[in-house]
Amino acid sequence: MSLLTMRDVRAGYGPLEVLHGISLDVEPGEIVVILGANGAGKTTTMRAVSGMIARQGQIAFEGSDISSSSAEKIVRLGIAQVPQGRGTFAELTVEDNLRSGAYVRRDSIDADIDRWYEVFPRLAERRSQRAGSLSGGEQQMLAIARALMSKPKLLLCDEPSLGLAPLITQELFEVLKTLNAEEGLSILLVEQNANLALKVAHRVYLLETGNVVASGTAAEISSDDSIRKAYLGA
Amino acid sequence: MDRFFQYVFDGLSFGAIYALLALGLVVVFRGTGHLNFAQGEMAMFCTFLTWQYNSWGAPLVVAVLLGMLTGFALGAGTEVTLIRAVAKKSEAGVFVVSIALFLGLNSLAAMVWGSLPPEGMASLFPDAPTDFTRIFGAVWRYEYIGILVVALALMGALFALFAKTKFGLAMRAVASNPESARLTGIPTGVVLASSWGIAGAMGALAGTLVAGVNGEVFPGLMFSVFIYAAASATLGGFDSPGGAVIAGLSIGVGEQLAAGYAPGWIGQELRLGVALVIIFVVLLFKPSGLFGSVKVQRV
Repeated sequence: MSLLTMRDVRAGYGPLEVLHGISLDVEPGEIVVILGANGAGKTTTMRAVSGMIARQGQIAFEGSDISSSSAEKIVRLGIAQVPQGRGTFAELTVEDNLRSGAYVRRDSIDADIDRWYEVFPRLAERRSQRAGSLSGGEQQMLAIARALMSKPKLLLCDEPSLGLAPLITQELFEVLKTLNAEEGLSILLVEQNANLALKVAHRVYLLETGNVVASGTAAEISSDDSIRKAYLGA
Repeated sequence: MDRFFQYVFDGLSFGAIYALLALGLVVVFRGTGHLNFAQGEMAMFCTFLTWQYNSWGAPLVVAVLLGMLTGFALGAGTEVTLIRAVAKKSEAGVFVVSIALFLGLNSLAAMVWGSLPPEGMASLFPDAPTDFTRIFGAVWRYEYIGILVVALALMGALFALFAKTKFGLAMRAVASNPESARLTGIPTGVVLASSWGIAGAMGALAGTLVAGVNGEVFPGLMFSVFIYAAASATLGGFDSPGGAVIAGLSIGVGEQLAAGYAPGWIGQELRLGVALVIIFVVLLFKPSGLFGSVKVQRV
């Protein structure tokens, strides 16, 4: 059974339909990347999964329908989204940001906070600083750590590389790759930086103006000439 | 010097009431970004209800607690039924709704209870002419001490809620970034309704304290108090709960000192003008208030 299944999903904002019936799957333990240009509907796909917008069609998580579930319930089921632009709580401390990420949990969370401080030592140094005072890279780390505090089975990452230095981006992708390899965390990743994304992806979907136009393993997509020209600039 | 201490003591007690109402304005503003112009009238309405519960036989303390519960329900209910739906369509709509609530509650109170309940309003605290003590030569009425203690205790409890509890964390998260709050699974609807509810409950208490001092409840009970509370929230910064409290106490003291020492022509009549001048000056020179955050964010 797939972890996440989307079939003929339509979504948008008010009268404006952005997704015109897309279908995709994420299997347990996979890193799936959605590539596409600006306006292709990548972020909208994420928001449709996480329940932030109205959507039609079939969306199932671990076999149960979530196409009309609230954002809150979807987090409880085990999907956490790192929003585009990071979306940290600027006025809250780093530590309070992490605590709020665990809002849906009822068990003890201190061990997890320590754990993410180990993975991201720079967050530990800044634990009592306001998130708004962190650098872009640190905020992205915080946003990812905050999402992971809910102990998700599926992590949605919306353009984590946006506005970050290449070295920092690489560091973040290493962390995501490790989490996937060592703990089987499934990841659905939206990226514009195709070269980078293809290095970590198992499978890839290409999105164009609200439709899936191609899909395949990372190797298949990388070796397809027309796709290389359009998305990889080579 | 005795006179000075007298003004300060009286000012702190009145200021604590302004602070209660100002804190309500700030809690709502932080949560939903709206200024609730009906805050004072909601407080007045709940004070009438408190009087009603009391006259039906509930002991005054119980009646006040019931009044605060009603205030919570009135605030939360307003957010869920009116504000939420209108805010989706237009911000100006929320303004109109809160003005409509202001007028509606005022008229409704006048219709239900007439202009004056016959038995007047009892004070929560001993308020006979002899119920006072002298500190630094100034008269401290037990009633004013009681107001100060109760108001500060409630505000202290609210700050503990903000800083120490999971729900307080959720409230701060929603105030900071509602969209991200939803993504972390925080029930933002519950948080926003509760913010309005908390403001309603604090207003109910503020109204009862004012009515206790006045010895009566009437539809215009909270007019001037609301103006002072709005001035306090402006001075302290609309997103700063601590600022609202400090500003409320300062304005209470400032008002007493101004009324006491100012030349006769300012006197009692122009006291409200002091609050309006404060609002005007703050908005002109420091729109974020003394303690409000000018948002700092690196990208």
